[in-house]
Amino acid sequence: MAASIAPECNDIKEKYDTCFLKWYSEKYLRGNTSSNDCEALFKDYKGCLNKVLKERGIDTMVEDARKSGSSETDAEFLRKS
Amino acid sequence: MKFFENNFTYDYSFPAVSLAYFLRYPNPYSRHVLTTDVIDRYVDPKTQRLHTIRIHLKKSKVPSGILKLLPKGMGGSDSSGQSYILERTIVDAREGWMETESRNMEWTGILSVVEKQFYKRLQSDEDRLAFDGLAIDKISEQTSVKTTVTFRSRIGQGKLLAKKRQDTSDIEDEESRKGFFSSLSTAGIQRTIELIGVSRTKEAVLKSKQGMNIVLERLRSGGVVGVLEGMRQDREAAFGPDGPWKRVWLQGKDRSIENDKS
Repeated sequence: MAASIAPECNDIKEKYDTCFLKWYSEKYLRGNTSSNDCEALFKDYKGCLNKVLKERGIDTMVEDARKSGSSETDAEFLRKS
Repeated sequence: MKFFENNFTYDYSFPAVSLAYFLRYPNPYSRHVLTTDVIDRYVDPKTQRLHTIRIHLKKSKVPSGILKLLPKGMGGSDSSGQSYILERTIVDAREGWMETESRNMEWTGILSVVEKQFYKRLQSDEDRLAFDGLAIDKISEQTSVKTTVTFRSRIGQGKLLAKKRQDTSDIEDEESRKGFFSSLSTAGIQRTIELIGVSRTKEAVLKSKQGMNIVLERLRSGGVVGVLEGMRQDREAAFGPDGPWKRVWLQGKDRSIENDKS
């Protein structure tokens, strides 16, 4: 599995990734889209990750990037729906 | 602004290709990708589409051709040789398509690169009808992907020197023009930088296809377990058994995790 940017989150990330892959291939892709088996793991992983993103200032960079892209891309994404 | 477009067809089903997309790092063609993290993921309750946002940390150097065009100290020694990529994907499993968008988050004034891909299950109904008599190899599932990359340099337009977006952008614009850019054509520099981006991207798109194909082949022969085993080997080959994060914090500016010995 790809490593996390935050080494201290690698263990929880691996657990979450494994859970996601199982859910995605066995449930989501087979039409069971409403289940969310990995939510608790994702919450833990995000908790670990967000701390590091904040410490390194990556969180604001992500905010900016999400905003800068949204004007064109969200409109495009919406058009598809 | 410059564009690059490419169309390609994978000889794999849409579910396999979309799974491989999420699983594509690490692979033998992705040694420059150091880390991948999911920062947001949810299923839209209305559309049942899966939305994912990830950040990839990649090793990257500003190409020397671009460095020459920049004012001294910009993009040069202070850059860590790493860059963050924001990736958004939307999957619609029912309709059989996936939309992806990747963009660089730093140096966007010098060159903003936005890659969009549209993966789609190829309709095989017509094939099936047409080849009904020759039923043997009718189930050849395929997935098409259209890649569009947009390059836009805003260098010399004042945003480059503005560290924080302020209302003083006009003044900074003036200053940057008077200084470095006065003797050169801003449009010419922008065009040059965009073209350097295009030429680098052609290679990168080819490599990413090769990487996807390896992951898909591993999926076909060993399932998800096969992919994970392949990854472990790739990771060791690329970074040694310690994994890539040592490298990340040796090169990174952040020193807050020095006591992590994993």
